[in-house]
Amino acid sequence: MNRFRRQFASGLLTLLVASVAALGLHEKFGALPDYAFLTGWALLAGMFVLTIYNVRKKLPFLPLGKSESWLQLHIYLGFFTTLLFLIHLHFRLPHGWFELTLAWLFVLVSGSGMVGLFFSRVLPRRLATRGGEVIFEKIPALRHALKTAAENLALGADAKSPVIAEFYTKRLAPFFSGPKNFWLHLVESRRSASALLAELEDRRRFANDAERGKIEVLLALVRQKDGLDYHRSLQLALRLWLFVHIPLTYGLLIFTALHIVLVFGFSGGAR
Amino acid sequence: MSEQPPAPDFDAQNYARPNQNWICGHAWQGNACRQGPDAKGRCRATAECKPVLETKPGETKGRWRCTRPGCVCEAGPLPDGSCCRPIAKCSPVPTLRVWRGRATLAVVATACAMLLVLLGNPPWRNQFISPGEISDAHSGAAFAALAATNHLNQNCGACHVAGNSGPDGMVNAALGAEPGIFELKKLAIAIPAEPTAIDESCLKCHAGRNFHQPAAPPVSCSFCHAEHQGGVIAATTDANCNFCHGDAAKMSVANQGKNGAPPVIHHFAEDHPQFRFITEKWRDPDTLKFNHALHLTGATIPNLTGGEKLDCTFCHQPDAAGAFMRPVAFEKNCHVCHSLQFDPDTPQLMLPHGSAEYVSAFLRSLPKQYADLAAKENQADANGFVQQKLAGLRTQFGSGEDLERRVFFSTATLGPETQIGTLSGSTRALFPGCAYCHEVKTAASGLPQITRPMMPERWLAQAKFNHAKHATISCAQCHDAVHSKDTADIILPAKETCMACHSPRGGVADSCAECHTYHKPQVAAH
Repeated sequence: MNRFRRQFASGLLTLLVASVAALGLHEKFGALPDYAFLTGWALLAGMFVLTIYNVRKKLPFLPLGKSESWLQLHIYLGFFTTLLFLIHLHFRLPHGWFELTLAWLFVLVSGSGMVGLFFSRVLPRRLATRGGEVIFEKIPALRHALKTAAENLALGADAKSPVIAEFYTKRLAPFFSGPKNFWLHLVESRRSASALLAELEDRRRFANDAERGKIEVLLALVRQKDGLDYHRSLQLALRLWLFVHIPLTYGLLIFTALHIVLVFGFSGGAR
Repeated sequence: MSEQPPAPDFDAQNYARPNQNWICGHAWQGNACRQGPDAKGRCRATAECKPVLETKPGETKGRWRCTRPGCVCEAGPLPDGSCCRPIAKCSPVPTLRVWRGRATLAVVATACAMLLVLLGNPPWRNQFISPGEISDAHSGAAFAALAATNHLNQNCGACHVAGNSGPDGMVNAALGAEPGIFELKKLAIAIPAEPTAIDESCLKCHAGRNFHQPAAPPVSCSFCHAEHQGGVIAATTDANCNFCHGDAAKMSVANQGKNGAPPVIHHFAEDHPQFRFITEKWRDPDTLKFNHALHLTGATIPNLTGGEKLDCTFCHQPDAAGAFMRPVAFEKNCHVCHSLQFDPDTPQLMLPHGSAEYVSAFLRSLPKQYADLAAKENQADANGFVQQKLAGLRTQFGSGEDLERRVFFSTATLGPETQIGTLSGSTRALFPGCAYCHEVKTAASGLPQITRPMMPERWLAQAKFNHAKHATISCAQCHDAVHSKDTADIILPAKETCMACHSPRGGVADSCAECHTYHKPQVAAH
């Protein structure tokens, strides 16, 4: 068993044991009114540890353990905290605008975290099947280079092929102008690129030998650009879930703080 | 030509750092400047190099030397010392990191603004922070009137002290809570059932907590009655009851009954003891003699006037609410068969029911009774009719004293009739004597005295029960009346009978509150 499998097994086992213990305690003490206070504080503690993972990432120079270990903790604690959240709610939907908003914020934060986990487990494997590593920040430059190459080939001074020039202007220029097919790439569909390639291959029938050579190069450029778009889509998805996860975490913390004030202010230390 | 996306080798000179906030505006064209934007997103591009002035010994002016990395440019620095190849300024582009920071700020700002607006406006605040609808009892017109009478706030402030104040008051109330926000240890060991500050609000309308046991420790109203659930205020759960009844230590100091400490109970189906009327062998002390088995299964019991067989529902009729049964009454339930015909030859004349004195008076005025009957029936010879009847009685019963004794003390076995009714008889049941059903004694005055039957309307007065809810099952499933021959039998179901349905296995609710009430019946409210 390699290190990753060992970590995964121990993490999963710990999560399962903690979950079963939490559910057992809920079964036994769930109806006691102060139970909501205790689960609430446990939930807050969990949220605190989850949140400081972001702080840990910003302080790499402090000896706070490996970031990889923090990520593992973040993932397993995230699942456990979701269970604590459900226990805190007694597995029921809350009532009232404030509590509903708070609950939805938690659902969105934990849901986006799970989506992020899914992406980070699935998308890198898919990326590895489509060419080498492409640095996300360099994709615009690479796209620009491909566009320039295609443009020179089709419209350059020595192009001399109206068939290719027309096809480029009508069909290829919009394709090379920017990122395309974000959603199709995410769902692993090559429908649009295949259609474009088929159209371009069709032009071979009307082309002479010189033009056929250019078409072959253009086909390769289209495939490269499609691969680049594929990388961009998947790498963007790997980054975009954080646009929900992180901002809403801060919203959740603000609402949580108010929740504590309301609970204590309105119960007078009671229920 | 490769068809894979271009994957350039690592370029140490143009290392793109994803943690930077800004990238050069020319980066998308692949010719980002080496300096890149500053931390605030301003372009720092000037020229490709910064020429250095070199002055050789003896020279006064010196020469500007190109410092362009890689290769020196042919034109060299300009005479004023500036580079001849200036870099065009760009508009740096924020990275995803910056956009994410902006999104975070937007969410934080929106959340704060929303909370400030909603919390700053009292009507919106109350609606916004309410964790759920108030129960009907605390939100209707009746509550509004009561609140007005008691000079109470009619919003959150009616119950919550913090409800009368704004955001600062809420924070102060939270900080002043007992146990406090940061007193985790106290919170962990706080006894959850203890009355708290909010109970003071309950007591403004509900005068005192009326407990089922005087020695029970004080319990907060909100321990059992959870508000903000809308509708009818939430029912007590088993866990509330188990807080005391499931705790052996608490039960050991509770009121000791004649059987010792009350039992520890968690769930009806699990450890609820058998009902006390069974374990303590309660007997019905009623002196009325009644045989359920005979009335339900006896071959001598005639059918009712409609032809149907006598069954439970003939005598046991539900009250208006359907929850309990009306008391059985002689006139309504018994008289239809048990007519008080003391003179077999004159079935029209019957003894009165309800008082031994009336019966005595009736028997002592028989001539008058017969005369009245003759008048009522328009007998031509009323006097002769009376004499004939009295003579018939004398023949059958002897003297008036004998008749009175027979009427009061005779039972079917002692009287002239060995059975009180026949299926084919002229009447449904002849009258054998009061003692057939009643306990008849002789008073000190010598007059007969009938012990008044005492039939309790409810055996388990503290328990809740609703016959209407059990209408789908037959009476016999719970009440084993067909085997009861003795009045002393208490024909209530045993725990096992209830458990057949009221248990997790039976699928019907089996919580404590299904049968028990916590408060004494005379709960005070004004």
